[in-house]
Amino acid sequence: MGKILIVDDTLFMRTLLKNILFSGGHTIVGEAGDGEEGIAKYKELKPDLVTMDIVMPKLNGIEALKAIKESDPAARIVMCTAVGQEQMVKLAIKSGAKGYIIKPFQAPKVLEEVKNVLAS
Amino acid sequence: MTEVPVKIQHNNEWVVVKLGIGDDRITVPAPVNKEIIFKTVADIAEKKNILIITVKTDTETVYRILSVEKVLQVLKKLILGSCNAYRLMAYFMSPAIRGGVMVKDAQWDKGSVVVVRSGIWFVSAVKQVCVPVNDVAAIELTKRDVQGKPTDVIRIDHLDSGEVSSSLVLCPLSTLQVLYNYLKDTTKSMDMKGNELDAVDQQVAMLVYSGMDSHAIENMLNIPHKQLDTIYDKILNLGLGEVVTIRREIQLTTKGVRYISDATKSQTN
Repeated sequence: MGKILIVDDTLFMRTLLKNILFSGGHTIVGEAGDGEEGIAKYKELKPDLVTMDIVMPKLNGIEALKAIKESDPAARIVMCTAVGQEQMVKLAIKSGAKGYIIKPFQAPKVLEEVKNVLAS
Repeated sequence: MTEVPVKIQHNNEWVVVKLGIGDDRITVPAPVNKEIIFKTVADIAEKKNILIITVKTDTETVYRILSVEKVLQVLKKLILGSCNAYRLMAYFMSPAIRGGVMVKDAQWDKGSVVVVRSGIWFVSAVKQVCVPVNDVAAIELTKRDVQGKPTDVIRIDHLDSGEVSSSLVLCPLSTLQVLYNYLKDTTKSMDMKGNELDAVDQQVAMLVYSGMDSHAIENMLNIPHKQLDTIYDKILNLGLGEVVTIRREIQLTTKGVRYISDATKSQTN
């Protein structure tokens, strides 16, 4: 079980992920609505894992991922993206993301991916 | 002619026969005494270990064949290679995504895509995957990174044991466009305008898909039970969902209240 930071610009997605991760026994240490806030919250909260949306205002998920990895190369970040943006996933993996989930997602698959990344 | 042991449904009973397998037909001996010519097969489907073959000549005849996986694989390979269907050589990846997570170590298989009446088959030397037409959730022409290059592919989203999986088909663009049009036409009955559900309805549908129950949905969206019921009705009426469980809410009668009062007393005394 891990301490998780959720970064997504839609409240609905954050709430959904929060519910799924909470039901899997994880602790949600914080939420952020854009990439900039995500970087700040990461430095402040030092979570075990971050779920990071890709398309977000101010700073997108890929840029936020790069910034977090620069300050903490061991950061575990799972990218969260919509169907059809799998190209972005490849870029994210190249930039250091540990995993990815594609919306719409199902709870067991999300928990499985998070478990795998936390174990890595 | 090779012979394989199977059970075949005949006059509503399963009978054991040895099918004779030829280059262009299967011979079914007595008591059935029929020949299944591959070219006349209009549909082929599989349910567990039963192969359902529809032969169309002047009339339609359905054969149900039960056997071990190895035998069924041989039959499927022969029939899918020659039956009356839309067929093309292609690379496919099935499944490529399962439940929103990319399948690890998924690889492109070289083989053929065979579209029959009830399903889309992906057939290679080692794989035979069927996506029933009724389980197709979406078909899209999109791009995927193939050997470092963005390449046109068809993505087929389908339900597989209750979760959405995506399969990919790769072939020359002109063929891809023809296949895309054909698949869109085959699955036309599943098409919707896209404006049937409003924003809240869509959120409910997404939460249902994610595995949330009614109670969690009410809490997450902060909507009353009655509103959720109305949205459920809308989703059901559109054929987008089905009832799995009907949960009851009850209140205690005087007798019930008296019972728990007594029980509480006995616990505290």
